[in-house]
Amino acid sequence: MISLSRVSKVYKETVVALDDVSVEIGKGEFVFVVGPSGSGKSTLIRLLLKEEEPTRGDIYVAGKHIGKLSPWKVPYLRRNLGTVFQDFKLLSDKTVFENVAFALEVIGKPRNVIHQRVPEILNLVGLGDKLRNYPDELSGGEQQRVSIARAFINRPLILLADEPTGNLDPGTSVDIMKLLDRINRTGTTVLMATHDNAIVDAMRRRVIELDSGKVIRDQARGVYGYGA
Amino acid sequence: MALRVGYFFNETLQGLRRNGLVAFAAISTAFIALFLVGGALLVSREVNLLIDFTTRDVEVSVFLQKDISPSQQQHIGDLLGHMPEVASVHFESQQEAYQRFKEIFRNQEVLVQNITPDALPASFRVKLKDPQQFAVVAQRLVGQPGIDKIVDQRQILKRLFAVIRVFRIGVLAVAIVMLVSAAALIGNTVRLAVFNRRKEIGIMRLVGATNWHIRLPFLIEGVIEGLLGAGAAVLGLFIMKVAFIDSLRGKVGFLPLVGTPDVLFAVQLVIPLGGLVAAVASLFAMRRFLEV
Repeated sequence: MISLSRVSKVYKETVVALDDVSVEIGKGEFVFVVGPSGSGKSTLIRLLLKEEEPTRGDIYVAGKHIGKLSPWKVPYLRRNLGTVFQDFKLLSDKTVFENVAFALEVIGKPRNVIHQRVPEILNLVGLGDKLRNYPDELSGGEQQRVSIARAFINRPLILLADEPTGNLDPGTSVDIMKLLDRINRTGTTVLMATHDNAIVDAMRRRVIELDSGKVIRDQARGVYGYGA
Repeated sequence: MALRVGYFFNETLQGLRRNGLVAFAAISTAFIALFLVGGALLVSREVNLLIDFTTRDVEVSVFLQKDISPSQQQHIGDLLGHMPEVASVHFESQQEAYQRFKEIFRNQEVLVQNITPDALPASFRVKLKDPQQFAVVAQRLVGQPGIDKIVDQRQILKRLFAVIRVFRIGVLAVAIVMLVSAAALIGNTVRLAVFNRRKEIGIMRLVGATNWHIRLPFLIEGVIEGLLGAGAAVLGLFIMKVAFIDSLRGKVGFLPLVGTPDVLFAVQLVIPLGGLVAAVASLFAMRRFLEV
């Protein structure tokens, strides 16, 4: 589902964000990408979204060589990728319903589809009773659920999550992880960048560890760190 | 599809409201620019009408001395009539000249009262096949007794038309400068709108909205600004026509004036020009901001 082969990303000719990274991620996998800040986790996600081009190497996402993808096809690539971020990226002047509906509106889905699917997905993430609330009326955990609902509403093949629990307390984080796990069990490949060791240790999923842009560990049912 | 139209319409309306003052500046500038373009077009049209009118019947006036003998007059008439360059000759007697004078200056009675037919010269009024051949015709008449002077009517108007032409170029130059300013201002409101909504745009990109889907509301916003400016310019042109030209129409009856069809012709140009300039400006403004 995701394949990186000898990928490097160098910023301004000196800052090496990724260094010769080769990774294969199969359909339906749940993968943690761990490592300290600046180890290249976010760069990896930006490359998968084709927000940036790799300096070297080939990247395949959902069966497509994204380096060879023409610009006008990029939006269609992204429709196969759900994205969740630490800061939720919700629009504060739109309600929960409108925030999720936005993702469908802007790709031209008809109104009846929106009115059917949005309440459905919000029920799924446990916010069926908060459709008309605004983001700032919700807790951090609830806001992240809205953002996950938005990322998942198009049934993407892959869900990319960049520190999704970074702003949340441990109890709320567990709830979010349960939600991501449920999404993973529908067949969606989940790639989650995190430095939350408690979560990684509890989930016991594949762990790819980056340090200074290099893959220093790729372990099938890993924990956050060897000694931990 | 109904939803899509509603979506774009809503986005555009919100954008215009949010950028009220800047949008107003852009629209006003577009208005002035397009008004000047339309005005320059009308001035051109008027100049052409005047040229047509003044050179339609007479290109050369051969003024005769008062004491010319009938045979001399006859001779000059025959000479003119037989020249191959001459299309037509008309003899205007002193009485006819007086009638024409009264017609031209009928709004200035004092002038008319102080002139008698006696004071005006009789003349041959000559139309040439090719107006450029004035010199040839004048040369042949040199030395003929009884001629006071030979006047190239087009020469008299030449200075006037030169002035008008410079004026027209000036108006067009100002119009172009204003058009560029309008384009810059419209581009700026679009840029501002994009900047104000960068968060939405970021999310739109993440969820896979196509570039055109993202750009269209901004493009429509810019084009609507341009068209509003054009609309105001059209209104301005019609007001100008009614207020100035139409009120002149009764007073200078002998001169041709631009009319509604001419204004409509200008309108036909001004409206698409407004839309086009705005569209180009908007797309140019977005190009840098909305890379994938």
